Amino acid sequence: MALSKERLLKLYRDMTLIRQFEDVVQVYAANGTIPGFVHLSTGEEACHAGIVEALRKTDYKFPDHRSHGSYILFGTDPKLVMAEIFGKSTGINQGRGGSMHVSDLSCRNMGFNGIQGSTMVTCLGTAFASVYNKTDDVTAEFLGDGTFGEGTCHESMNMAATWHLPLIYCLINNGYAISTRCEDAHPQKHLREWADGYEVTNYGVDGNDVEAVVETVEKAAQQCREGKGPVLIEFETYRWQGHFAGDPAAYRPEEEMIEWKKKDPILVTKKVLMERENVSEDELKKIDSDVEAEVNEMLKFSLESPVPEIDMATKYTYSDREVEAR
Amino acid sequence: MSRKISYSAAINEALIQMMEEDPKVFVLGEDVAKMGGDFGITRGIWQRWPDRIKDTSLSESAIIGLSCGAAICGLKPVPEIMFGDFLGVCFDQLVNNAAKMNYMYQGKAHCGITVRTPHGGGIRCAYHHSANVESWFMNVPGLIVVVPTTPYEVKGLLISAIKSDNPVIFLEHKGLYNVKGEVPKEMYELPLCKAEIEREGKDLTIVATQIMLEKAHQAAAELEKDGISAEIIDLRTIVPYDKETVRNSVAKTGRLVIAQEGVKNGGWASEISAMVNEDIFEYLKAPIKRSTSLDSPVPFAPGLEDYVGPQYDHLLKCCREVMEY
Repeated sequence: MALSKERLLKLYRDMTLIRQFEDVVQVYAANGTIPGFVHLSTGEEACHAGIVEALRKTDYKFPDHRSHGSYILFGTDPKLVMAEIFGKSTGINQGRGGSMHVSDLSCRNMGFNGIQGSTMVTCLGTAFASVYNKTDDVTAEFLGDGTFGEGTCHESMNMAATWHLPLIYCLINNGYAISTRCEDAHPQKHLREWADGYEVTNYGVDGNDVEAVVETVEKAAQQCREGKGPVLIEFETYRWQGHFAGDPAAYRPEEEMIEWKKKDPILVTKKVLMERENVSEDELKKIDSDVEAEVNEMLKFSLESPVPEIDMATKYTYSDREVEAR
Repeated sequence: MSRKISYSAAINEALIQMMEEDPKVFVLGEDVAKMGGDFGITRGIWQRWPDRIKDTSLSESAIIGLSCGAAICGLKPVPEIMFGDFLGVCFDQLVNNAAKMNYMYQGKAHCGITVRTPHGGGIRCAYHHSANVESWFMNVPGLIVVVPTTPYEVKGLLISAIKSDNPVIFLEHKGLYNVKGEVPKEMYELPLCKAEIEREGKDLTIVATQIMLEKAHQAAAELEKDGISAEIIDLRTIVPYDKETVRNSVAKTGRLVIAQEGVKNGGWASEISAMVNEDIFEYLKAPIKRSTSLDSPVPFAPGLEDYVGPQYDHLLKCCREVMEY
């Protein structure tokens, strides 16, 4: 099913934003300005843009560690996300979370726990709350192929299926858990086959085809909203960078990257826009340069923002008491 | 206040009264609904609120994970984990998820879950159904760990725990379930993180929890025969514990014995001992003593379990030693 020209143009813009955002993050992670380590979603733009496009702002979202792409599209001002990644006080989480822990309850970005598989069971709770409160909000749980090694995946799918919880497992399969190839860690040809054992509806999608991503997630969300139980979607894609920014990914064959770059989700969409929707290259270039200006603004904001005040370090450990001073 | 009910009945009453008061409260766990729980604590709830109590698969991580997720949506989950020992199965959810959510969301959402679980020895079920698990959580900021002793305490503390926005690990003692005591019928709260001075004294402070309190009272009565006046503190909450009450008492008596049912190494007794040494060393008239279980798993055969477990005689000996120092 083809999306409208307007929608596809928006998605092109979203994906371009992700690409440029990640490119900037990569530079500033490499030069040491960004503390810690970051996991870039470059190459997986169609998954992030498409999943977010198909969901409502009121749906609960549990991103994973490689989710900058989603964070900036959920509804949070992207410059607040970038400032968070830079560890600044203006960050959406006041610089206390960083790249892996961006959350924003105003758009129901419930954040990532930092431990693979952990939110696989947390997401049961928001889905349960939707049923308990009789709303039709769905929960989207992001996970990677590596996550499927965790025991919580079994507990989660078993319970969600038994209780018909409105839960979409968004399995972004990029082929690698750090250096370990999916087939070296899992016996299934396609990981989504797991879901069959739990009687969970499942789909496989080309994760670089943003139209297919949107269509499939919308279908899944509809099933969930109708109370028909959880859905697992496996998006087949590839991360262009190593596990973290700075990982040279020497464990991957070079030709594999070359092949996947031919399927660059942004180029794929660009081609559709130009050939099917008669969008001119100039129009797309204009989007590219608008996004570039926007990202440069975010970078300026992030670099110029102050670091967090020390009194923020221990605040909110408990809801009603302060941590004792040293 | 003339009504006497058991510890387990007091927990049941607290749960039911909280469910009557707050529609956001719900219960989930293994065999909690139709059966009413392995120890019968949740009996009668399913008949009244079939949609607010859920029997789950044997999935401790999912039970706690679901509770965390529901709590950040504003619900008040009261999950039951069948035995405290099984908290090991869902440890990640407790220490990395529940404990850190308030911090992670900058106080905009809370993980107000109350994890009820029975722990402690004495039921002859060996090393996977008998451990004292409270010290597992000493090192986890964000959690509250409650250890109620009497029926009166267990009701008031459970109501406070459910009302709290913090994640509470509520450790019921299996050996106390059938103990009866006076419990007001109406709802009431007892403060979390506050210790209670159960017996006033001037020569020696004994800090204890749960089944060790009875031993402490027995020792105090014995010491009294020799003219020694022991003060007994019921800690009630282990994490974060009430330092002020402990400090004030020890500053007054100058002597401290800590009666801890669980194993010795790295237990909460060690933490209290370190705190007293650091904060009020100059008040101490004798070294601090800990009376605990041996650093061993809990064996099955009754004679073996009793040998490894806490000893009244040892507690009394510790008290005498600090007095004679």
